Amino acid sequence: MLFVPIPCQTLNITSFELPNGLKVILAPSNDMQTAAVCIYNMNGARTDPADGRGISYLYQFLMFDGNENLESYDHVLFINKMGGIVSGRVSYDNSIFYEVLPASEINVALWLESERLKSLRLEDKNIDYHKNEIFNRINRMWESNLNFKAQTWISAKIFEGLPYAYPLFGDLNRFRALNNDRIRDSYRKFQNLSNILLIIAGKFDINELKAGINKFFQNIPTGKKSPEVVPNAASQHGIYSVKNWVIPGLKTNYTFYGIKSPGKISYDYVFFDFLRYYLTDPRCSRLEYILNKLNKINVEIVGSFTDYFESNALTIQLSCSERINLEKAKYILGQEFLALTMKPISNAELKAIRSLMEIDLYKGSYNLEERCLRIGEFYHMFGEVNFLDLQLRRLRKITTYDVMESAKKYFKKENQVILNVYDE
Amino acid sequence: MSMTNKHFPAPKFRLFMVWTIFFSLFTFQLAAEARQFSFLSSKGLPIKVLQQNEMPFVHAQLLVFLDGEKQNYNSLLISQLTFMNMFARELNLPSTNLLDSFFRLGNDYQVEQTPEYVTISLNFLPDRLAAFTKLLKEIYTYQSFHLKKFNLSKEKYWSFFIKNRDWKKEIAFLLAYQQMVGNFYFSQGLMVQEIVNSINLAQLRSFYLKTFRPDNSLLILKGNINPYIALGQIERDLPVSPPAPAKNKKEEVTPNSSRRIFVLNSTVSDAPMIYWFDEAPAMSEADYLPFFIGNFTLFGFPGGRIYQSERSQFFLGGYKVSTDIFSLKNFTVFCNYLRLNYNDLENFLFLVDQERKKFSARPVVKKEYLDALNYYLGRAQVETGNFEYGMQQVIDRFQSQPASLSQPPRGPELVREVTFERVVQVMDELMGYKHRAGIREKGIIVLIGNANLIMNALKIFKADVIELRMD
Repeated sequence: MLFVPIPCQTLNITSFELPNGLKVILAPSNDMQTAAVCIYNMNGARTDPADGRGISYLYQFLMFDGNENLESYDHVLFINKMGGIVSGRVSYDNSIFYEVLPASEINVALWLESERLKSLRLEDKNIDYHKNEIFNRINRMWESNLNFKAQTWISAKIFEGLPYAYPLFGDLNRFRALNNDRIRDSYRKFQNLSNILLIIAGKFDINELKAGINKFFQNIPTGKKSPEVVPNAASQHGIYSVKNWVIPGLKTNYTFYGIKSPGKISYDYVFFDFLRYYLTDPRCSRLEYILNKLNKINVEIVGSFTDYFESNALTIQLSCSERINLEKAKYILGQEFLALTMKPISNAELKAIRSLMEIDLYKGSYNLEERCLRIGEFYHMFGEVNFLDLQLRRLRKITTYDVMESAKKYFKKENQVILNVYDE
Repeated sequence: MSMTNKHFPAPKFRLFMVWTIFFSLFTFQLAAEARQFSFLSSKGLPIKVLQQNEMPFVHAQLLVFLDGEKQNYNSLLISQLTFMNMFARELNLPSTNLLDSFFRLGNDYQVEQTPEYVTISLNFLPDRLAAFTKLLKEIYTYQSFHLKKFNLSKEKYWSFFIKNRDWKKEIAFLLAYQQMVGNFYFSQGLMVQEIVNSINLAQLRSFYLKTFRPDNSLLILKGNINPYIALGQIERDLPVSPPAPAKNKKEEVTPNSSRRIFVLNSTVSDAPMIYWFDEAPAMSEADYLPFFIGNFTLFGFPGGRIYQSERSQFFLGGYKVSTDIFSLKNFTVFCNYLRLNYNDLENFLFLVDQERKKFSARPVVKKEYLDALNYYLGRAQVETGNFEYGMQQVIDRFQSQPASLSQPPRGPELVREVTFERVVQVMDELMGYKHRAGIREKGIIVLIGNANLIMNALKIFKADVIELRMD
């Protein structure tokens, strides 16, 4: 063996806290000329009150709609003009907003983020505009996108009793009636600095960066304290449900399998993640192999995963114009789930999938946006910042026994919901 | 973003590679200190290693050159079918030794094709170097062409072609490229099943033997890798190339991008797409950058002239144009594209034409030049965070002929050489001057959508309709 296996990679991650409670995490890389500035907010849609669902989702759009010193979308234009990338999203467990830009311009991103934290524009005019925009967009999707409808149904069933059961925008019929004063008031809790991480990755000069952070962030008021949400692994309880939708004139028949799976905070997460790769990742998909190559059924297979903290849903969508083939595919899929609980996968498969997962983990840690997100999530869940070491160690220890045990636990019938969508 | 579902990365088996890395000229200054090693193996395989120890995995690209193959419709389909038969996961049951080798390395691979070469990209862990060199051997000694598989690949050609890819852009580029090099005419329609059916297995085998040879390839490795150990392993496993076939004398390609408008009739019920192709100097030429700046002045967002004029003159809805750049050996193809409504098609084409013509009367102004340069330099720095960064630059340098090309400006030289005056001059030569001199308007335009609706929308512009039969 000429090549020695490399040890676990360690990212050099450090952190400190400003007097106003803002936690700063630094993850430098000297092999590039770019940097990412990320605001990781430990609030998300799950912290919305029951009668105010959708408020946090609105912030996703309002964040780009100007503030005291910047006009609407100036933030985006500033970064675009210097060749950078700007994006953001609000999820259930968290929200992130980031800029990737030339390392030499890092102070511009710090300034833009601080402006947004200090004085987001929350006037009736722009809140109403976004309420209407979101309402119209979701309404259009609801009318035209079968997948969206199916996913909403599956989430409601799988996550019953959990904050993920409701769409991010809450109840669409009530969305436009959300009170604007309440939206403004909630923002003060949403942007409470003790719930926010400022994560900076990539190339930077540490002294200049610290000076920039002090200049732009140290005078931001702490904000209104929001109740702390401590994520916990959700308990498993039977959810089995089958539903048929009949849509006249449908050219393709669909079956959606929703499988309730462990949240990211759970010890089992990595084992189930292995199963997800094994069954549905297009680069190694076992389902593609058994359904289309071995049995020549010719069904389309699409897998998606929710990636939440407390509980998750793996959705496997099978589609085919011929109903008989779809029924065959469902039978074979059931047999495959059963086989996974009884017979260990081969060592060659285990090694290959572990390699693939490890490569993806490395790619994720190299990419600055994803690195910021992973650091933020890891800190949010476990209070630690060095995500890579631990995740690699756990990944490399996966055995065929772990995979079989995970299949036994999560592929049982009472853990599934099935939605069939057929032509008449 | 209403859901946070994590969609799995799609497998990529693209036949045309889109080089969105505009910035290869800057690698010397910006990339962070990847040490580069160059070798030529005793079997004739050129190897470039970019050693970057902070990158914890290895990214490999094996390029197999298609030079010497006359680019006509048949040879194009032969090469596409060869790559499908060798690399498409869906086709290979039982699995071949080649696909087993990929699987052992984690199966994170994709195959893409430009008119000039095919690229097999792969990511693997540094401790799997031995398995990687065995994979190289499998690629060069492949013997698993079988009639059954071959027939299936022909039967399902379209479904494989369009799976998980931006097939519209690829077909538009294919059409524009062929129009530029002028090797065939699509009188029979584009990629019709009858022509696919006329290809036989012997043609694939013959193509493979001529093309898949270490001395017709380039291997680039980037990441945490010891270059000397890599070379030793490759030397051990790589097969000897069979005697090289006599190469046809390469014809120098003189691209012709005179104005043609094609309409590809597609039954897919999306809004129509416009792809606007321009031929530009090769990336390794000094005039490439002035062209980039000129193109940004026209199509850039939000400061570009077209975006600015959309609302004020044509009441269009603020369409944002995207730009991809295809880097070829002797020239570059700029592809500016967007999706828009049928009703706006003609207005948009008219607007672009009008703004291009204005270059003669209203050349690039200083602010536009500075904005474009600022964007270019910034983007070049942002690209260094991509793990594939630097690969295209190695390919461009490998392909370029230093004797015939002027050295491209770099770093501080850039601002000295690509001056405002130079940009104005180049854009005037490429658009303004030629237009004034009455030479035919340039730019190949491909519209994809419902041909009836498109033709109804086009009142002034004349277009050729080509049937796109996705049988």
